[in-house]
Amino acid sequence: MSELKHYFAPTNLDQAVECLKDGDVTILAGGTDLTPQSQAGRVKIKQTLMNIRHVSELAGITLEGDEIRIGALTTITEIMNNALVKQHLPVLVEACDQFASDQIRNAATIGGNICNASPAGDTLIPLLVLDASVELASMPEAELYRHSMPLSTFFIGPGKTRRSLCELVTCVRIPLPPENHVARFHKLGTRPALDISKISIGIAGTLKEGILSNVRVAFGAVAPTPVRAPRTEKALEGQRLDEATIAKVANVAKDEVKPIDDVRASAWYRKEMIHNITRRLLSHVAQT
Amino acid sequence: MSVAEKKTRIIEPDTLIGKRIRKMDAPEKASGKTRYIHDINLSGQLHGKILRSERIHALIKSIDVSAARALSGVHVVITAVDVPDQRPIGVARDHFPLKVGRVRSERDEIAAVAAETEEIAEAALKLIKVVYEDLPVISNPEDAIKPGAALIHPEPHGADGSHEHLKQGTTIAHKGKPDNVAMTFDYAHGDVVQGEAESDVVIEDTFRLHYVTHCCMGVSGMIAEFDASGNLLMYSNTQVPFLHKREFAEYLNIDPARIRIIQPPIGGGFGSKLDIYPFEVICLYLARTAKRPVKMLFTREEEFLASPTRQPVLLTLRSGCKKDGTLTFRQVHTLHDNGAYTSWGATTPFVMMQTFSSLYRVPNCDYHTAAVYTNNPYAGSFRGYGNLQATFAIEQHMDMLAEKIGMDPLEFRMKNAQDAGEITGQGMSFKSCGFKDCLTTAAQRSDYSRKVQENKANRDKPGNIKRGIGMASMLHVGGGAKIYPSDGCGTILKMDDFANVTLITGASEIGQGSETVLSQLVCEELGLPISAITVVNNDTAITPWDVGVHASRTTFIAGNSAIGAAKKAKAKILAVAAKKFECAESDLDLRGGFVIKAASGEVVIELSKLLRNLHFQDKAELVMTTFYYEPPSVHQDKGFKGDVSAAYAWGTQVVEVEVDTDTGRVRMTRVTGAHDVGRVLNRLGIEGQIEGGVVMGQGYALTEELLIENGVMQNPNFRDYKLVTAPEIPEMDIAFIESMDGEGPQGAKGVGEAPAICVAAATANAICNATGVRMFELPFTPEKVYRALHGQTPKRYWTPWKAE
Ligand SMILES: Cc1cc2nc3c(=O)[nH]c(=O)nc-3n(C[C@H](O)[C@H](O)[C@H](O)COP(=O)(O)OP(=O)(O)OC[C@H]3O[C@@H](n4cnc5c(N)ncnc54)[C@H](O)[C@@H]3O)c2cc1C
Repeated sequence: MSELKHYFAPTNLDQAVECLKDGDVTILAGGTDLTPQSQAGRVKIKQTLMNIRHVSELAGITLEGDEIRIGALTTITEIMNNALVKQHLPVLVEACDQFASDQIRNAATIGGNICNASPAGDTLIPLLVLDASVELASMPEAELYRHSMPLSTFFIGPGKTRRSLCELVTCVRIPLPPENHVARFHKLGTRPALDISKISIGIAGTLKEGILSNVRVAFGAVAPTPVRAPRTEKALEGQRLDEATIAKVANVAKDEVKPIDDVRASAWYRKEMIHNITRRLLSHVAQT
Repeated sequence: MSVAEKKTRIIEPDTLIGKRIRKMDAPEKASGKTRYIHDINLSGQLHGKILRSERIHALIKSIDVSAARALSGVHVVITAVDVPDQRPIGVARDHFPLKVGRVRSERDEIAAVAAETEEIAEAALKLIKVVYEDLPVISNPEDAIKPGAALIHPEPHGADGSHEHLKQGTTIAHKGKPDNVAMTFDYAHGDVVQGEAESDVVIEDTFRLHYVTHCCMGVSGMIAEFDASGNLLMYSNTQVPFLHKREFAEYLNIDPARIRIIQPPIGGGFGSKLDIYPFEVICLYLARTAKRPVKMLFTREEEFLASPTRQPVLLTLRSGCKKDGTLTFRQVHTLHDNGAYTSWGATTPFVMMQTFSSLYRVPNCDYHTAAVYTNNPYAGSFRGYGNLQATFAIEQHMDMLAEKIGMDPLEFRMKNAQDAGEITGQGMSFKSCGFKDCLTTAAQRSDYSRKVQENKANRDKPGNIKRGIGMASMLHVGGGAKIYPSDGCGTILKMDDFANVTLITGASEIGQGSETVLSQLVCEELGLPISAITVVNNDTAITPWDVGVHASRTTFIAGNSAIGAAKKAKAKILAVAAKKFECAESDLDLRGGFVIKAASGEVVIELSKLLRNLHFQDKAELVMTTFYYEPPSVHQDKGFKGDVSAAYAWGTQVVEVEVDTDTGRVRMTRVTGAHDVGRVLNRLGIEGQIEGGVVMGQGYALTEELLIENGVMQNPNFRDYKLVTAPEIPEMDIAFIESMDGEGPQGAKGVGEAPAICVAAATANAICNATGVRMFELPFTPEKVYRALHGQTPKRYWTPWKAE
C-alpha cells in the first residue's frame, strides 16, 4: 500500500513549485509510467500526489526567438500534430510516430518521458541530436527560480536525472535547426506498435554538397541512459557520405556501444543492430 | 376454419445456413454491458488472495500467519495445516491446492487469505512469514531424466527421516514418484525398421517448441458460496461444468448433487479452463471456513504466472521416403516439459501421434513421449492440443524430403495426402476428407508453386528484404473426441405460445459463437427467424449434461443434439397441424414462423396461433422436447488405436513473409487458408474463428514466448510477452472446402482449433524459402532469425530417449 495522504492539483506554476518544497511529493503528468510502475511496486507514491495537468504554463508549443519551446505537459499526439514541429523538427515526429499506441500517445507527455529517464525513452534520442535543453523550475525562497541545462547532461542512470526533488521540469527548448539540416530516427522493436526499443538511433547534422558536418549521433537502450556517441560523431564529422565512410562509421558505432543482455535483446544483437541500422540511416541521409 | 378459407399467402424458401449472422452476444460485449465474473458481487462477499512461493524449489520449514490473522478486516487465513482434509488435485493427482512441506515452482500456493477488501487481503499476504530451505532447481527436462537427478516428487519424509502421514494416500501427492517421469506414451503401426530399409532418403532433426500462454482478456476468477445447508454455488469460468462438478465434490468430500455451477460470460478460454487449478479449490476452502461468499480474481501478473501454458516440447523426428515421393516411415521421440505438476499438457501426445500417424499416408510409424517433471510452470490444454508442435516438425520435414528428392513440395504432399474412405494405421476412418482440395485450393489462390521458385531465384539478389512462401497442412478431430465415458451433449427445447424457442443446452459458450450457431441450427429446423430464440447454457441446475467445450466439438456434438430436439419439436407440431387441417404430415413444413404447405409454400396457419390452440384447450399440451446426442465414435484401445472422432477436419495454410536480413524481423504479409469445415454454418462466425486462430498461430510463430530462466518467469506482463498487435496482422484469404460430412450437423465439422495449427510450420517453410535457412526452434523473433541467418544458432540434437 502507498503512503499517499494528499492529492493536490495546482492550477499555476507557483503553486506547483511551492508544493514541491517539502520534497515528499510524487508528480503526476500523463501517468503512463507512474501507474504501471507504482502498481508493480517499483515506484512508491509519496505522501502527496500532485497532478500537474491543470498548470497551463506547462502546456503548448511556441516559437520563442530562435528556439522552439515544448511545454512539459505536451502529449506525444500534440507534438505529432503540431505545425511548428512538423516544419522544423520532423525527426521528432518520426519518433512520436513509433511511440506506443494512439491511446498512450494521447496521455503520455514529453515531460514524463524526460523525467522517467528510461534509456529506451523514444523522444529522448531525437531531442539529444537536436541539442535540446531542459528547463527546471523551483522555489528555493519565496520566488520562482528557473534554470536550464543541456539534455545531454541531464540523465545519470535508468530513472535518474539531475532534477532535484523540489524541481519541476517546465519545458524543453530546441534551437531552430539551421539550413540544410538533416535528422533521422529509427527504433527497433519486435513489433511495429506498443514496443519498447531494443535499440534506437538518432543522427543529425548539416548536409552540404554531400558533406555532413555538425554531426550529432545518439543511441537508446544500449547504456544506462540515452547517450550521445562522440566517437561515431567524430568519425562522421566533415565526411562525404560514400559507401566506404558509411561502412567505417557503422563499425565505429558498433564498437562504441557497450549494451547489456536483457529480456528484450542480447548485447551481441544490440551491437549488430547498432551497426546495421546506423548503416541504413546514413544511406538514407546520403540519399536526401 | 379450413385450409381453403385462408387468404393465400406464399412463404418463399429461405435458409439460415451459410449466412453471415451476428454473434448473439456481440451487442452486449461491444457496448461494455456484458457482466463478467469481475462484475458480479454478492452481498457479504469477501475477497480471496493467494500467497505464492518466493522460491522455485524448496522445503517449507515454517509458515507464520499470526500477523496476517491479526490484521483488521481479515476473516480467514489458511495454509495446508488448516485444511487437513485436502485432497490431491490435477490430472495425475500429484499436488495439493495448498502446498504441503515443499514448493516445486514459482506459482506454488502456500497460504490464502479472505478479507473485507482486496487491499486488506494483499496487505495480509505481506505479513505472512515463510522460512524455506532451498533445493536444487531442475529447469531443463533433459536434466530431469539424467540418472541421479534430484526428484521433484520424492516420497515425503518427516524431519526425523520417518515417513510422513501423507504416505497413507495412494496418489503421487501422497507417496511421491521414484523418478521424474510423469507420463509416457508409446504408439506404433507397421515396422519402422523395414520402412527405413525401403527408404531412398532419411532425415532426422530435433525441433524445440517453446512456452506460450493463453492471454485470455478475462483473467481467471471465481466466486464460491455455501448456503446454510452446506450446498455450494459456484460462479466459475470453467469450460467443463459437469465434469468439474463431480471433481469439486471429490475435493470437498461432498455429494456432487450439492454443487451448482453457474458460468458467467467467459472472457476467453482456449483450453485454459479445462482443468481444476489450486486457486479454485482454495477459494472453496476459504468460503467454507469464512461461511461467507468469497471472490477470487487473478491479477494479470498472476494470470501469467499461474494459468496453464502450451506444452513445451523437445522432439526428434526421423522420416524417410522413396525417390518417387512415397513416404516410408516416421519415428518420433518427444520430451515434454511437464513442469512441476501434471495437467492436460502431458496428454497432448493423444493428438500429436494422430498427426504423425495419419495426416499423410505413412505405412510405418513409431511414436514415443515422456512427459517429465521439472520446476517450471505446468502446461495445460491449449487450442490445437499438441498439434501445433507436431505439425511444426512434420511439415518442415515434408519440405525437406521433397527438396532431397527434387520434387515440388505441393506434388509431394498431394502424393501422400489422405483421401475419403481411408482408414489409417491408427484406426481413424476418414468418412469425409477434403484434404487434397485444401492443398490445391490454397496453392492456387496463393500462386504457391510459382512463388516458391521465384523466391528461391531471388534469394541471392541484393537488398535486405527477402520474400518467402511456405505451406503446411493439418488434421484435427472435427466430430468430438471420445475420451470420457461419453462424448455427448443434451438439449432441452421448449416453445412458448408466441412461437419463441428456448434452447437449453449443455454446451458452454466461451466466446466461440456456439450460442449463435446452435440457434441457427434450431431455427433452420423450425422455420423461425434467429430473433425467435433464447439460449440458456450456463447453469448446471438447469442445463442437461455435456462433456465440455474442448476438442472443437461443440458445433458438431451440441449442434446435432440441438437439431435432434428441434426435429422432435417439429414432428410434434406437424402432427398437430396435420390432424387439425386433415392432411398428411409430409404435406406440411415450417417456414418463416408459419406452418406451410410443403409443395407450394402456401401458409396454413401462423405457428404461434397453432401453439396457442394446442396449449389452451381441454387436453392442453406444450411443445417441449429433449434430446441427447452421442457421436458414433469409439474409445481408443490400449495401443491408442481407434476411430475417436465422428469426423475429421482438414486444412492447408500458405504463409508469405518478408524477412529483413539486416534485423531478422519477419513480417507476415499474407496467409491463404483452405479449410475443410464440412459446411459453413455461420459465415461471419467461421471467418472470425479462422482469422483469430491464424493470429494466435502468428503469435506462436513470431512473437510470443514465456521466458523461463531457472524456473523464474522473466516476462509476466504484456510489455515483454509480445502478443501480435493489429498492424502486424497479415492479409488473409480464407477459402472453405465444403465436404458435407454425413454425420455433421447440416454437414458441418468442428473447426475451433484448426486455424492455429499450421501457421508456425508454414512460417518456418516460408523463412527457409526466403533465406535458405531452416529454423528448428520457435519463436522466430528478430534476434533468433538474425542469429540463424548469421550462422550463430548451433543445431540442436536431442538423442531420442525412451522411459523404461
Ligand atoms: C503501454 C505503454 C507503452 C509505452 N510505450 C512507450 C514507447 O513506445 N516509447 C516510450 O518512450 N515510452 C513508452 N511508454 C512509457 C511512457 O508512456 C512514456 O515515458 C511517457 O512519455 C511518460 O509520460 P507521462 O506523462 O505519462 O508520465 P508520468 O507517468 O505521469 O510520469 C513519469 C515520471 O516523470 C515524473 N514527471 C512527469 N512530469 C514531470 C515534470 N513536468 N517534472 C518533473 N517530473 C515529472 C513523474 O513523477 C514520474 O516519475 C509506454 C508506456 C505504456 C504504459
